[in-house]
Amino acid sequence: MKRLIYLAVVLVLVFALAACSASSDHLAAIKKAGKMVVGTSADYPPFEFVDEAGNTTGFDVDLMNEIGKRLGVKVEWVDMPFDSLIAAVQGGKIDLSIAAFNYDEERDKTVDFTDAYYTSEDALVIMESLAGDPPTPENLEQFIIGVQSGTTQDAWLTDNLEATGKLKAGSLQRYERVDQAFMDLQAGRVQVIMSDYVPAKALVDKFGGMKIVYQGVLSTGPMNIVIPDGDKHLQTEVNKIIKDLQDEGFIDALAVKYFSE
Amino acid sequence: MDFMKFLQYIASGTAYTIAVTLVALPSGLLLGILFSILNVYGGKVTQRLTSLYSTIMRGIPPIVLLFILYFIVSGSINLSPFWAGSISLGIVSSAYQMEIVRGAILSVSGGQMMAARAIGMSKNQAIRHVILPQTLRLAIPPWSNEAAIVVKDSSLVYALGVPEILRRAQLISASTQEPFLAYAVAALIYFLLVFITNRLLDALDRRLHIPANP
Repeated sequence: MKRLIYLAVVLVLVFALAACSASSDHLAAIKKAGKMVVGTSADYPPFEFVDEAGNTTGFDVDLMNEIGKRLGVKVEWVDMPFDSLIAAVQGGKIDLSIAAFNYDEERDKTVDFTDAYYTSEDALVIMESLAGDPPTPENLEQFIIGVQSGTTQDAWLTDNLEATGKLKAGSLQRYERVDQAFMDLQAGRVQVIMSDYVPAKALVDKFGGMKIVYQGVLSTGPMNIVIPDGDKHLQTEVNKIIKDLQDEGFIDALAVKYFSE
Repeated sequence: MDFMKFLQYIASGTAYTIAVTLVALPSGLLLGILFSILNVYGGKVTQRLTSLYSTIMRGIPPIVLLFILYFIVSGSINLSPFWAGSISLGIVSSAYQMEIVRGAILSVSGGQMMAARAIGMSKNQAIRHVILPQTLRLAIPPWSNEAAIVVKDSSLVYALGVPEILRRAQLISASTQEPFLAYAVAALIYFLLVFITNRLLDALDRRLHIPANP
């Protein structure tokens, strides 16, 4: 009898733990709460930024608000530095994160991704005044390069140029935010910046005196929403909504609104 | 972007900066006083432990402690970003404040403790009524230094998503491409906060000054 009670206690504990940790109930919990907490790093126009009234806005923000509406929940925005976002999803501090993330094998080990909602490209940006041959993906190692840390471009440069020893020490500068990299390009501390194409285009227009010399897919590709590891229910539901939004032309309309494509 | 709106947005982060400081600084002071007394008057074990605490907390970067408390420890206890940030900064500051108070205790002549004991005071009474009143007065000038550091370190909580002054300046810098204006506004607010804090502490120092003491 004692043994039976013991067994029962263990079983209850196991189920209780499973109920707490299993993400299978995550979607239900979100719906029950009537809100989902979404993390972003609002320093990346036009994907996510702060408008004049101090509200978080942008392509990703409009998209996620619409997804929230269709899930029947309110979206509560939390702003964090880009580098903190994955840790926050992992730690359950936020329900999911949208911040122009590209699918990446390293990241996939600790979190999961939804289907792509948009496809992004890489850009190489230089000052118009840069003398000599312009940088291309093939001769990039001859230049002093600026990149935002933790991005897919950072991973690409690290794997392809730094780890292979092609790059001279000190010729890859990492910045916490992409606009810092552009300021240093203007100041002449770096010669070329590798970043996402869309924000690069917006920054080139704003700064002036710069040009994009390469546009294509090196490190980037599909952009996905980051969700907790193994959260199948949430993944399926959000994927379905993304598909609907693509079919209805909602995402294309957003792209026109924010990227003037 | 309209300059006034812009200023207002950054300035509205001041409430967070002040709130974080008001949690971190006093909690650090209480812990600091407690640990410094344990360190100076406690036994061998408490002496060792408090010294170790101070060495470790002054040795690791505050941001690391912030991440540990928010992303690792608060998996089991649910701490909001604000509290995780404020508590971590309080812990780090307590180590520095412990050293400040400890230095002040040691600068009060040892003969006073002996004299207090000789007239029949217990050790606790002597600490409370003789040593601490002098110590805390002596600690005000170096303490105002620490207060300025905590005001500025409070910006670290932005890493957890608390929208304080510096993070707001970053966001405005990103959306307007006016970094110098945005950071100048942030710098001005921090300067005013530190300036006012130090002025208040100077006034307190003068008010509490005992003329006979150097």
